[in-house]
Amino acid sequence: MTPTVPAVAEELYLQCIRCGKCLSVCPIYRETRIESLSPRGRVALYRAVGEEGLTTDEIYANRFYNCLMCEACREICPSGVQLDVILTHVRVDLAHSGLLPEPLHRLDDVIATAGNISNEPNEQRLGWTANLETPPTGLDHEGPAEVAYFVGCVSSLFPASYSIPQSLVQIMERAGVDYALLGDEERCCGYPMYLNGEADRAADLARHNIAAARATGARRVVMSCPSCYHMWKHTYPELLGEDALDGLEVIHETELLSELTQDGRLHLKPWDATVTYHDSCDLGRKSGIFEPPRDVLRAIPEVELVEMADHHAKSLCCGGGGNLETFNRDLARSLPRRRLEQAQDAGAKYIVVSCQQCKRTLAGAARREKIRVRVMDLAEVVLRQMEEE
Amino acid sequence: MMSVIDELKSIVGEDYVLTSEVDLVAYSYDATFTSARPTLVVLPGSTEEVAEVLKVANRERIPVVPRGMGTGLAAGSIPFGGGIAMPLTRMTELLEIDRENMMATAQAGIITSDLARTLAREGYFYPPDPSSAEYSTLGGNVACNAGGAHCLKYGITGHYVAALEVVLADGRVMRLGGKATKNVTGYDLLHLMIGSEGTLGVITEVTVRFIRQPEAERTAEAVFPKLADAGRAINAVLASGANPAMLEIMDETAIKSVEDYLHLGLPLDAEAILIIQTDGSVEEAERGIEIVAEVCRQNGAREVRVAATPEESAEMWHARHSISGSLGRIRPNKLGEDVTVPHNAIPAMIARIKEISARYGLPIVIFGHAGDGNLHPNILFDKRDPEEFERVEQAVGDLFRAAVELGGSLSGEHGVGVLKRPYLEMALGSVAVEVQKSIKQALDPHGILNPGKIFV
Repeated sequence: MTPTVPAVAEELYLQCIRCGKCLSVCPIYRETRIESLSPRGRVALYRAVGEEGLTTDEIYANRFYNCLMCEACREICPSGVQLDVILTHVRVDLAHSGLLPEPLHRLDDVIATAGNISNEPNEQRLGWTANLETPPTGLDHEGPAEVAYFVGCVSSLFPASYSIPQSLVQIMERAGVDYALLGDEERCCGYPMYLNGEADRAADLARHNIAAARATGARRVVMSCPSCYHMWKHTYPELLGEDALDGLEVIHETELLSELTQDGRLHLKPWDATVTYHDSCDLGRKSGIFEPPRDVLRAIPEVELVEMADHHAKSLCCGGGGNLETFNRDLARSLPRRRLEQAQDAGAKYIVVSCQQCKRTLAGAARREKIRVRVMDLAEVVLRQMEEE
Repeated sequence: MMSVIDELKSIVGEDYVLTSEVDLVAYSYDATFTSARPTLVVLPGSTEEVAEVLKVANRERIPVVPRGMGTGLAAGSIPFGGGIAMPLTRMTELLEIDRENMMATAQAGIITSDLARTLAREGYFYPPDPSSAEYSTLGGNVACNAGGAHCLKYGITGHYVAALEVVLADGRVMRLGGKATKNVTGYDLLHLMIGSEGTLGVITEVTVRFIRQPEAERTAEAVFPKLADAGRAINAVLASGANPAMLEIMDETAIKSVEDYLHLGLPLDAEAILIIQTDGSVEEAERGIEIVAEVCRQNGAREVRVAATPEESAEMWHARHSISGSLGRIRPNKLGEDVTVPHNAIPAMIARIKEISARYGLPIVIFGHAGDGNLHPNILFDKRDPEEFERVEQAVGDLFRAAVELGGSLSGEHGVGVLKRPYLEMALGSVAVEVQKSIKQALDPHGILNPGKIFV
């Protein structure tokens, strides 16, 4: 996989009739108002490489890496242009022709050597278990477990996100879910490499993680992180073959929580609050999981669930996608404000997310911009609402 | 022209003069099938900056092509002769909502639907609603005098413009109109600028009127097995007293194309659908839609569905607004026209379009604002086939001749741009074209503003 000349597929770009509808949903275009930073612009650049011999240089790469890969453009395109395919292919070509921007290149190197995104010794992954009242039972699980919990780098290594895995393990323990943690055998899922166009570098990580999950004896792997979920579910089989996950069911936290709610294994006390749910791109638009988190919220007595202007498949990216935070921090930080305003317009006091990255991004922006809306992960909400037995 | 670039950078700032090949490609097109790269892109942030840029361009005789979001359908914002592409997309501020006079003032680059949404939060209504309202600018709408579905009852963009700030070719700033309802002081330069397509001045600020939102709206979708029946139903509805706010048509190709995109369960065996909205008080809207349903049934509708909820109504309109973009599913290129005829000539125009389609062996999709006589015949083709493209050009000529012969004209809302230039004299007569040319000469003697547009 080392093409030096980017391959341009005519059938992909010819479908774009340049109507401009994608300009209305692209968070980057809405913020910058620069056409080369819009989906339509990127398709035009891609086309110009094929038809006009446009040089693929650093500026060209800049326009493609200044993108959240949120796929709102693909979702709205009336003509059916496969923007996800174009954007992914171009990144693969750029990364394999020496045009992956330096900060992103460094990120992939760190993941390859350290096994996590923040270049820490991988043993640190269990830091979040330290200040729980009792250590998680899944830590030293003996014998085959029902579920393996794949925590993900951000929740494992960023203290502000610790409360997400802390909440989920307590929920599982109280609900009687027999689970095992992978501990320091867990490695980065490889999603940042996939986003950068270097999915091929993630094959070893994929093999390692699948083996670690299988070693627990579990038939299900649950993840809190939608990106890990997306990587496992969609990219691992592409990298390792269709049978890579045979005998392993990959589920997201929200699916597990919804299942537990339906089975009557969670007893939730009333919460008198106006709440909105933020669909993350990887879980919602890209994986089609919309209702399980909403079902859980609806199961909490007295919660008023309201929708923001953009929801379900049309959800607005928080600004935390596409490795943009690593590539262009200032631009990434300018994006969440619109989402917070949508929550306010909907009358919500709480934004419930099911993604640690959305939580970091939205909560950080709410603090910076002094917007009075609270951001919580669904697991945090559920734990708080669980009645003591 | 190195020193000129430096001078422009000193006006708008280093970051807002774009010269990379990548950016020139991105500003080389609009929503048509044509393209041409500018020499450079300048993104001004204020009226003063627009004025300074124009002074430099006028002095150096550099063409300036003003532009909104590049979603025009007449190639009016494509820089065929190179020069400066000047998007006003950085100028997005909503400057004032004057609730007493019911007028709003905004910079030209505001997205039209952003303005409309802000007003709607307070119960106000800005009616002009081009299908691209979510992805076009107010300034661009004014420069093209854009229409939309609501024009049937409420009028076009120009009817809502109360005042403009315009920068002339030599950099002088001119304010036109105002908040007084009546004003006949001097020539009506305000309406000269509306629809001038960036050839007479650059619109930098717009004051529009708004009205109260109607209390209620009802939408119906009528399915016609025969296109000709739908054509007749349009006139019957208009004569019925239902006073529809919107009356739109989509033919079978449009239906198939949208269904392929949205999967709404539209009837694929129907030759036409009419989407009709009534509004006003609850009673008016309700009574109106009942009349509409009855009239459609009497004129050959197989089925009339009245939306039970606002969501259902929104879905019907979403289908209509998605036609244009969805046509890329059928062929790689489309030429979307916006011919107008008196509404009693709609059935005849539909018949003529069908004839033309058959004559040249080209698929022509018919949809549009049937109620106000403004149809959007879209010719679908593949530009890479020169023989086919030649047939497209001949078919366009026939379409325009048919519209003029039926008492209509070339353009209801997209403007002339480049694509309709050859037919201007046929539509207006030589005297009117000469007068227009002398106006252009008086306001832009060096011909730097969007050269080559409107006139050959």
